[in-house]
Amino acid sequence: MQIGYIIREGFSGFKRAKLSMFAAVLTICISLLLLSTFTLLAVNANRVVESLREKVEMEAFLADFLNPAETNALRDSLTVLEGVREVRYVSKEEAAEIFKAEFGEDIKRVLDFNPLPASIKIHLKDGYKTAHKAEEIAERIRTMRGVEDVIYRKTLLEMLDRRATTLMWIVLGIGVFITISSVFLVANTIRLAIYAKRKIVQTMKLIGATKSFIRLPFLMEGLMQGFLGGGLAAGLLYLLFEYVGQWIASDLSDFLKVEMIAYGLIVAVGCVLGLFGSMISIRRFIGESVVPQ
Amino acid sequence: MIELRNISVSFDGQEVLSGLNFSMKSGEFVYLVGPTGAGKSSLLRLLYMDLKPDAGTVHVAGYDSERTKTRDIPHLRRKLGIVFQDFKLLEDRDVYDNVAFALYVTNTKRSDIKKRVLQALAEVGLTHKRGQMPHELSGGEQQRVVIARALVNAPSLLLADEPTGNLDPHASSEIMELLRKINMRGTAILMATHNYDLVRKYPARIVKLENGKLFEVELKEKP
Repeated sequence: MQIGYIIREGFSGFKRAKLSMFAAVLTICISLLLLSTFTLLAVNANRVVESLREKVEMEAFLADFLNPAETNALRDSLTVLEGVREVRYVSKEEAAEIFKAEFGEDIKRVLDFNPLPASIKIHLKDGYKTAHKAEEIAERIRTMRGVEDVIYRKTLLEMLDRRATTLMWIVLGIGVFITISSVFLVANTIRLAIYAKRKIVQTMKLIGATKSFIRLPFLMEGLMQGFLGGGLAAGLLYLLFEYVGQWIASDLSDFLKVEMIAYGLIVAVGCVLGLFGSMISIRRFIGESVVPQ
Repeated sequence: MIELRNISVSFDGQEVLSGLNFSMKSGEFVYLVGPTGAGKSSLLRLLYMDLKPDAGTVHVAGYDSERTKTRDIPHLRRKLGIVFQDFKLLEDRDVYDNVAFALYVTNTKRSDIKKRVLQALAEVGLTHKRGQMPHELSGGEQQRVVIARALVNAPSLLLADEPTGNLDPHASSEIMELLRKINMRGTAILMATHNYDLVRKYPARIVKLENGKLFEVELKEKP
């Protein structure tokens, strides 16, 4: 098999059938724009949910009778507890400072004493910030000696759990729909282009071309269409997110953040789409009789 | 070169060829005549193995229908030259590339391809039109390109299915002269035709396909 011939033929397709080539490149580009925009939204929706979870913090309030050594021991046992990422001790004085910062008044002056208990703030590991797991940890901490109470934003976690599951199903549904539509759209456009060359394929067989000899230039053409369509989509998205997006809404810069590798991925997905589109399409026509019945 | 034994072919329950026998030697020129729908094209399709017989065996250029696998059919076709009434040129490329395609499939070296394509084009008198697209050529010229494509691999057998069917008398004569020249150099030719004037003008062995069988025909009267 002549590699040079396959590459030359692949490129010749651009010269010979400009319109169908343009249609295929454009279809791949539009499909990828849809897929990428959707993926970006899905990833960022997930990012928003995760950033809300990140803010969920647990606080264990300590009894006044604990001496410093007991407080340290308690803190150490909290540190090694499963699901705990880090802990921070807040003394009664610090609690009063926080109160003052939040309410603008010194509680010791209002009440003549400091009623605020010392506490240990607990940051959970990522996988433990669900309502169920957080409650398990809170229950264990409540049983520890010297812990008066444990609070965290339980309702927020419950709400996030419910919403995240719904969101995941919606995202998955739309994602599957867009992906299937894109593959069909691309395969159909390429199929039309190859259908137009059906007679040529039959003639090639008549001259003694093997199936792979006929197929490979078409696959090369599909690969190049995919590369161009992917490149175009990546270029447009880059312009959109890096310039237009920032210009329209600079507040959304975090939301519109796209890693450079994602652009490479778009081009790669374009190549796969083009390749599979032509693979599916050429298979249908290559097996036909050389003399149409 | 060709040996057909007890060939039967039917389409939708209707028998087109039935118990047909035929043989043809290397270097022979044979006309295949018969009314429209008699099965001339089906017989040629059997020879380039686009059709399998329901019964009987086809032997052609060293291949036989019982043992030849689908993947070997392209190799058989490279040994044959095939010429059609409707030309079957690759419409998306020029004359040179149409002829060269027959060499690309056989993995011929690029430098050899150029030489052999130009030789074949010179033989059919179309070197000056090598850069033209098929639709820019007359019918006679297109058929000459097809013949050049068929010749470029130096086939031992050339199958022609009504090669002059779409051509005017002058172009038809040119094609016949060309085919005769090719035959004189040793290539066997089996040509299906309706054109009895040409058969008379360029005499050769004639077989007539009728009622699914082949009969040898003498030239004296209208075949």
